Amino acid sequence: MLRFLLVCIIFLSSISAHPVVFKNGKVFWVSQSTKFNDLRLGISQTNKWLVGGRILQDRRSDETFALLNNNYLAKRWNSKNAQANIYILSSVGVNTKNSESMGTVGVHGDWENRQLMVMQMIEYFSHNSSWMSGSRLAYSPYKVDYTKMSTWLIAEYQVEYKNDNLSYMFIPVVRVFKNNYLFEVGSNGDDSFLSFMIHF
Amino acid sequence: MLFLNLGFSQSKVTIQDKEIMLNENEVVVEVLGMVCSMCAFGIGEGFSKTDFIDKSKFNEGVMVDIDAQYVQLAINESANINPANIVKVIEEAGYDVSTLFILQNKKLTKFSADKLGILQPMAYNQSQSKNN
Repeated sequence: MLRFLLVCIIFLSSISAHPVVFKNGKVFWVSQSTKFNDLRLGISQTNKWLVGGRILQDRRSDETFALLNNNYLAKRWNSKNAQANIYILSSVGVNTKNSESMGTVGVHGDWENRQLMVMQMIEYFSHNSSWMSGSRLAYSPYKVDYTKMSTWLIAEYQVEYKNDNLSYMFIPVVRVFKNNYLFEVGSNGDDSFLSFMIHF
Repeated sequence: MLFLNLGFSQSKVTIQDKEIMLNENEVVVEVLGMVCSMCAFGIGEGFSKTDFIDKSKFNEGVMVDIDAQYVQLAINESANINPANIVKVIEEAGYDVSTLFILQNKKLTKFSADKLGILQPMAYNQSQSKNN
């Protein structure tokens, strides 16, 4: 069960985060749920490649995981008022208590314009041979210019395949951002999370 | 390069049906893929690290208009504007340049990206207003 929750929170973070930012741009990201504290810092070496470190703490077992992330923008399509992306994501890390290793590899795709966004991701986790898929469909009720606050209403759906079993979870999310600051809150009654991100 | 409008220190250009007033030593860049302020933050960050931006104008020398999908830049008077340097900053922020206008030495020049994304000088006919 602990493994499952860990995988869930790692996955949640992956689909919430911007995988790559501008050249030499940095991303600081912190998230807290009832079960986990999560802290990460990433630096985009180019506009296509971000590397970062991450500390993930399980609040119930008091286990801490140290991870290295490697995000690569494989393809981007820029057009008027819209953008689409395909990313390759991977990470390696250890449990700091027992040095047990873990690794992930995934593909992330998205398309967005000023008011609509669709996102799909699939990721493989080596330590328990599980697969997870996540989807987001988002709508912004109003368009904003560069200096105003933007609001997005997001429907997030997750599927996990492990030990020949499929499990599902739906969670509604509200995202607001202004300039280089982003805040998200999501809850479905059973699970909830808060996250904050800054680009600099 | 092709210079069509000579002898004026102010000119109007049009991007996505929006008329933009361009002053001497300014550049207007039509940017593809600019969908949100957080994403476009990298454009301002990129230009802040260059030495050719006049930070006394706009917001540290850069004005971003996501609605009309353009970026307006103020350039130092002493700087010789190189469109390739501007395109490099935009691309390093993760975007593509569609069209670029430069007004310098009272000459308005337009560049458009070809199929390979390389800027080419283009003919441009727009109304002008003389700066008093």
